[in-house]
Amino acid sequence: MKNFKSNKLLNIFLYISLFIISVPMVILLLWTFTGRWPWPNLLPKTYSLRAIKEIFAPHARIFQTLFSSMLLSLSVAILSVIIGIMTARALTLYDFAGKKLIAFLSIAPNLVPGTVFAMGIHIVFIHMLLSDTVLGVIIVHLVYTLPYSVSIMRDLTQSIGERLEMQAYVLGASPFKSFIYITLPLLVPGIKTSIGMAYIISSGQYFITLLIGGGKVKTFNMLMVPFIAKGDRALGSAYALIFMVSTLLILIITDRVTKKLPYQNDGRKYKWNWN
Amino acid sequence: MNKKTPYILIMPIVLLGVIFIFGVVNGIIQSFGYIPAFNLVNVTLSYYKEILSDPTFLDSLKVSLQISVISSVLAAILGIILTAALVYTGHTEGRVLQVIKLAIIIPHTIVALFSISILSQNGLLARVFYRSGLINTQRGFPLLLYTKNNLGIILGYIWKEVPFVAYFSLALMSGINNTLGEASENLGASKLKTFLYIILPLSMPAIRKAFLIILTFSFGAYDLPFLLGATVPKALPVQAHIEYIHPNLRHRPYTMAINGLILAVTWAMAGIYYLVTKKGRVKGDIHEEF
Amino acid sequence: MNSKRFISLLSTIIIALLLITGCGREGSISKPPGDNGMEAVSQGFNPDTDFDQILEEAKGNTVNFYGWGGDEDRNKWLRQTVAPILKEKYDITLEVVGMDIDDILAKLAGEKQAGLEQGTIDMIWINGENFYSAKENDLLFGPFIEKLPNFEKYIDSEDEEIKYDFGFPIEGYEAPYGRAQMVFINDSAITGETPRNTDEFMEYCKKYEGKVTYPALPDFTGSAFVRTLIHDIVGHEQFSDMEADKEVVKKAIEPALEYLRELNKYLWNQGKTFPATSGEVDNMFEDGELVMTMSYGSYSVAVGKEKGIYSNTVRTFIFDRGTVGNTNYIAIAKNSPNKAAAMVAINAIISAEIQATQFEELRTLPIVSYDKLTDEEKARFDNVDMGEGVLPQDELLDKRLPEMPANIVPIVEEIWLEEVVGK
Repeated sequence: MKNFKSNKLLNIFLYISLFIISVPMVILLLWTFTGRWPWPNLLPKTYSLRAIKEIFAPHARIFQTLFSSMLLSLSVAILSVIIGIMTARALTLYDFAGKKLIAFLSIAPNLVPGTVFAMGIHIVFIHMLLSDTVLGVIIVHLVYTLPYSVSIMRDLTQSIGERLEMQAYVLGASPFKSFIYITLPLLVPGIKTSIGMAYIISSGQYFITLLIGGGKVKTFNMLMVPFIAKGDRALGSAYALIFMVSTLLILIITDRVTKKLPYQNDGRKYKWNWN
Repeated sequence: MNKKTPYILIMPIVLLGVIFIFGVVNGIIQSFGYIPAFNLVNVTLSYYKEILSDPTFLDSLKVSLQISVISSVLAAILGIILTAALVYTGHTEGRVLQVIKLAIIIPHTIVALFSISILSQNGLLARVFYRSGLINTQRGFPLLLYTKNNLGIILGYIWKEVPFVAYFSLALMSGINNTLGEASENLGASKLKTFLYIILPLSMPAIRKAFLIILTFSFGAYDLPFLLGATVPKALPVQAHIEYIHPNLRHRPYTMAINGLILAVTWAMAGIYYLVTKKGRVKGDIHEEF
Repeated sequence: MNSKRFISLLSTIIIALLLITGCGREGSISKPPGDNGMEAVSQGFNPDTDFDQILEEAKGNTVNFYGWGGDEDRNKWLRQTVAPILKEKYDITLEVVGMDIDDILAKLAGEKQAGLEQGTIDMIWINGENFYSAKENDLLFGPFIEKLPNFEKYIDSEDEEIKYDFGFPIEGYEAPYGRAQMVFINDSAITGETPRNTDEFMEYCKKYEGKVTYPALPDFTGSAFVRTLIHDIVGHEQFSDMEADKEVVKKAIEPALEYLRELNKYLWNQGKTFPATSGEVDNMFEDGELVMTMSYGSYSVAVGKEKGIYSNTVRTFIFDRGTVGNTNYIAIAKNSPNKAAAMVAINAIISAEIQATQFEELRTLPIVSYDKLTDEEKARFDNVDMGEGVLPQDELLDKRLPEMPANIVPIVEEIWLEEVVGK
């Protein structure tokens, strides 16, 4: 019994939303190639490759920074998922002392202004020899990505439950094996979303990377922000586009990689595809 | 299963939790004026007192609350509709979702950049109006940015947050639709009834989490209010930033004190939110814990 | 099959992560790390040693120059012109790191509190109130400038801006880097007038109502603009030793405040709100929303024309009574691990050779004293063609007003926020 009218309205809403999201992207693209775009032109008056030339100039070292940034955020994302799965499992399937506290800690970073944590941990990290290091930056990024990872994995862990794993265990599989072969594949959708979300958050961090990384750990965002703040629209747009494309690339690759795994969970509890 | 297993499993997060608490506490100490690096060694409430007694503080607080509450409520409502649209039109994967993700990826400073490009009196919208003869000069176009009603900032936040709410709630709503939603419709309920009585309530956990995240974020972030806001009154995080870039380094406690107040208000908001939404919760449901 | 693939994937990831993160930072807090097998240079680095020995110590080191990263041209100049010279002549590798001065000082302050004796910052691009604060809070190394041979060779040590930065004694803690002076910019094809004083400026704003504004204080450029207006109305000498008290300053600038309030009526958005950054004002001028903008970079119009951002009819102008100008500097962090290399690099940057390249490529006013140059060097500066629409160097320097003392400026900014915005 399909209600065509409501579907049509929702479709219209969907396409309006997509339009509202896409228009700024097009504008960024135009700005990248703009020389001058004064009133009252609807399209740039003069085009120029200045921004492209400046951004790809060898001295800007854009590819090195981009690559190391991507590697950093990917590491954060993978670690975040692993810790997220572990924590989610503990919170969902077990009872233990301090459970409520851990659950609260999992959302607390969202409730604290970034500068407070950054300035506070900076001094601690200097003492721990973690300042100006990649490891230090990864740790502080994890503090901000874990709330999402834990939350996503909790929802999924809870919906899957223990029963399948228990059945495998009862049938003779070791706890480790039953986790790897039964539960983990069912967690894949959550892993996918978790990696995506964590990567986005990590690559979007600015102030804390600056302070803890001390300028030695260079991320693409740090390269990009001064130009946007200065108001150079052509250069800022060029950087923004590269940032977006590179992030989207990672998300697409994550999608493809997880699709290749044989077990899928699309929300229906006990369904999976055999090859 | 081992009795020790949970404790092993939570080791990483405990470690990170400790680091987090350490950092926050250290940061808060700075707000009480204890920064030995600048020869500030007396613990005092004076910075807090000074800020709270400043007449502009209440204005800033109002601005920040206005921005965060209005933008988050609207973003939540529109976000729910978008999620429903994605679920009912079957676009839970693929290209459409990639476009939605684009909006989440973009940093707020870029949002400010194109907001100005589009919405300013010199922007594309104004130029379209001019071309179609609706206005004669740039000043004919209404001032949407830099105004005391913070319209530009609110729109900027909504642009980013609606996709976020949708992305966050999509998995849950889609799952419920596939199972219970289908069952309900098979039993004869209309789509609308199914949505309002089954799907929406059961998706609330994810929607609620998303709402709280965008509420606290928009209250404490400074990029958009700084670039798109009025010169006075400034939003609280902007005021904190101004103190941070103050050349006299001894102003640092002011920054931290304003941040401390932001933290207090944020927690108050979260607390109020939990109390208000207590009624709608299913007791014992793991989703509902936080 | 799948299990093996999975396990190998997992192990690869873990190994990759371990390799990426590596170990924590090398060295410890108080042990001086030997860079490239050199002796412990920075623990108790003595700037009074013979400069030749400093040159020796600096060889083979890397020096990190931290400063605002938003000037793409400067970044390019540093990496493509200055760095090769330093490498070739002194065997020093120059690393340029973009970071706002507030973040730099926050980092140094944190390191000071934690007692970190070997940091990561060597050279800092700094001036004005930030320098004053950094020096006051013991974040800088010095005095060092008088040890640099090129200081004697090229710099006029009696120059006010070499001895004082925003009214406060430098005492050898920072070396001059480049000069800046406030200039006003408009397009002769759109507005023929160039107001030469505040009265003419008021008329200009009345004529082009709603099309003039300035960045909200405490933006660096906006602040300088307002201070130029203040100086034009009440003069500038009384500020050099004024008491840093809000009421005293307010009384001194009261006539200027009245002027600014009156001016609001004719400004963009009736002065009820101001653009947040100077970049914003520049953009609005480029787009035609404003008819005028302002800049600390005296030759930014020349640069803008070359980049195709400004049309050919854009030009600079200043007030008859002058505009504020200042020098920006390079300082050395107290916990710099490469102080010798920093001194050598700075010594090179204040030489005529590198200053000439800065003038040629960035159009930044040099800090070398013209009189101290050889004829060959003088010719090099004279031959730089600035193109149309800019003011000659001597006219600018002739009409250059000193900056207010570093502790008065924030007070003026505070008063502006309370007494001018929206009034």
